[in-house]
Amino acid sequence: MLASVAAVFATPAAAHHSFAATYFEDKQQTIEGDVVQFVFRNPHSFVHVEISDDKGGAQRWAVEWGSGQQLSGQGVNRETLKVGDHVVVVGSPGRNAEDHRMRMRSITRPKDGWKWSGTFQ
Amino acid sequence: MARFVGLVILVFTITVPPAFAQVDLSGVWGQRQHEDQQERGPGGELGDYLGIPLNDAARLRADSWDAALYGLAEWQCRPHGADVMWRSVHPLRVTKDIDPVTGETIAYHFNFDDLLDRVIYLDGRPHPPEEAAHTWAGFSTGKWEGDVLTITTTHLKEYILRRDGVPRSDLATMTEHIMRHGDFLTIFQIVKDPVYLTEPWILSTDFQFDPRANTTPELCEIEEETDHPKGWVPHRLPGTTTDAEEFAKKHNLSVDAVRGGAETMYPEYRKTLKPAAGTLGAQAAASQNAGPARAAAADVRVLKIRDNVYMLSGASGNMVVQTFAQGVTVVDTGLAQNADRALAAIKQLSTRPVVHIINTNADPDHVGGNEKLAAAGRRIPADIVAGDAAGAPEGPTIVAHEEVLARMSAPTGAVAPAPVRAWPTDTYHVDYKKLSAHFHGGEAIQLFHEKAAHTDGDSLVWLRRADVLVTGDLFTTTTYPVINLAAGGSINGVISALNHILDVAFFDYRSEGGTMIVPGHGRLCDASDVAYYRDMVTIIRDRVQDAIRKGMTLQQVKAAKLSRDYDPRYGSTTGPWTTDMFIEAVYKSLGGK
Repeated sequence: MLASVAAVFATPAAAHHSFAATYFEDKQQTIEGDVVQFVFRNPHSFVHVEISDDKGGAQRWAVEWGSGQQLSGQGVNRETLKVGDHVVVVGSPGRNAEDHRMRMRSITRPKDGWKWSGTFQ
Repeated sequence: MARFVGLVILVFTITVPPAFAQVDLSGVWGQRQHEDQQERGPGGELGDYLGIPLNDAARLRADSWDAALYGLAEWQCRPHGADVMWRSVHPLRVTKDIDPVTGETIAYHFNFDDLLDRVIYLDGRPHPPEEAAHTWAGFSTGKWEGDVLTITTTHLKEYILRRDGVPRSDLATMTEHIMRHGDFLTIFQIVKDPVYLTEPWILSTDFQFDPRANTTPELCEIEEETDHPKGWVPHRLPGTTTDAEEFAKKHNLSVDAVRGGAETMYPEYRKTLKPAAGTLGAQAAASQNAGPARAAAADVRVLKIRDNVYMLSGASGNMVVQTFAQGVTVVDTGLAQNADRALAAIKQLSTRPVVHIINTNADPDHVGGNEKLAAAGRRIPADIVAGDAAGAPEGPTIVAHEEVLARMSAPTGAVAPAPVRAWPTDTYHVDYKKLSAHFHGGEAIQLFHEKAAHTDGDSLVWLRRADVLVTGDLFTTTTYPVINLAAGGSINGVISALNHILDVAFFDYRSEGGTMIVPGHGRLCDASDVAYYRDMVTIIRDRVQDAIRKGMTLQQVKAAKLSRDYDPRYGSTTGPWTTDMFIEAVYKSLGGK
């Protein structure tokens, strides 16, 4: 109960886009690849992951994550992920298939078992 | 006793407020998210146009809108517009500017985490002229009416009323009434938009005094997000979305009701409702609004852009004047019949002669004043051998792409479209031309040839030190782009030029300011205004391309009104460049038969 009250009245980072308008929030997609960039910032962080596409080429995905402020409170900092880390990401796929974008639901680094899962605004 | 009276007077003087005292709004005010929390926090759902008195044009724009736009560099750092910011998640910090002499509050600052810093002028100053630049905050003046602060806001940039793409145009204005009741602040706002709303959009929002609210500035820098080809503008083609049906079904509402519109906002509408989950009804066939009134040509007006750079409007095509110690550089010269007024305006800015003229294209409203301005000026450097065939002194240099000269001149013995003294004297035929800063008061000026765009001879002119771009008819704020197919223009050339403008231009911050951009016609702009225009032209190009792919004839494409969501802002059924002419030019330019 306390957690839900806090979720309603806490000041979240502003998303100028609507999550519901940007992502299929009722769907999930999994991608696996290497981190090529980690942008730790407000209002939202991004993990850029390069995966192999159907034709064996490289495809870059942008995974939208919480604000630096929100993630800091959950033990994530700008050194948590490094370029070259192999990760498995589960997220809500973007509505525009050409955009190769997801909203983060969970991320796992198999090499050391590190994992984050949760929600953010 | 005398000491007692003196004390009373002193206390009275200290405690009685001066006559101008008003309610004090300063402090930090927390937003209260019980009002539409879903919409203002995580964001609403696609297809939800409930409670907005929008028209059919707005519906189509919202239906076509794709949130992937927010990944584009020109979109990432945009704050909410002043009207929508009230319903954001950001607290309000109010500070005030005090006149040091009178002690009066002469301005309030409404700051939302530094995303938006609205200045509310209380000193009675007028609003800027219509050709001035627009901003996310707009320009606001306030006036106390009893205990209510009434604010009038103009010069807003285009924005969205709801985060599912319902648009609000840059011609909208807003009135706000702000009331303080102890620790509560109520904002009552009325937005009028002649382009996308049929009635005012009215909303009230409450804030609570909260000195502990987190007002940490929310900074933003443009980042690379996803990979796309240059010029990619995400949107959805008409008839390909089912958002309204899905939203209506999910919430057990009538589809016609979720499409919004003034008629759906009154109690009487309930009586007309059929059972929920119907198909799109009457609104789909609603007629579009008539376009907003266009300002009639008036005297030449001067708008200062930088310390020594000015925009002159009212001579038909916009002109730019750069003044320096030795002379004046003029980009475009307006219509011939307005040249005297233009020259008079230039003389008010500098007593030095016109020494350089640059033309962005060969149209009469951009080169018409060449002859008169050239006759009134002279060239530097002065040691160039002067004189023409008639023995007149050498006039200013006139710089343009060589296709401009070709269109204005004629071979010996033939009648030329323009007099010899109006012709460009210095032309280029390669991708760009750089003009020496030495002869332009230290201003490095670069001309870029934008191929096959409005015509085949368009130049984009960049005053690099002043950071001002002059676009000619590659970009306007008053009409759809004029594509002169007979003169070598094309829709893809226009889009390429608009993307090039965005490549060259910088933002100052929050997708605003920085490089100032003077369109061929209309108001002063920055890159976000060009981005909106680029988006619009690209979307219409894609729709026409899709229609051609489906085998539609030109008449069918015109009848389909594929630009009806933008027609109230840029379209016309009369005059030299109608919507039908634009669509025909796009269709033919894309190879439609």
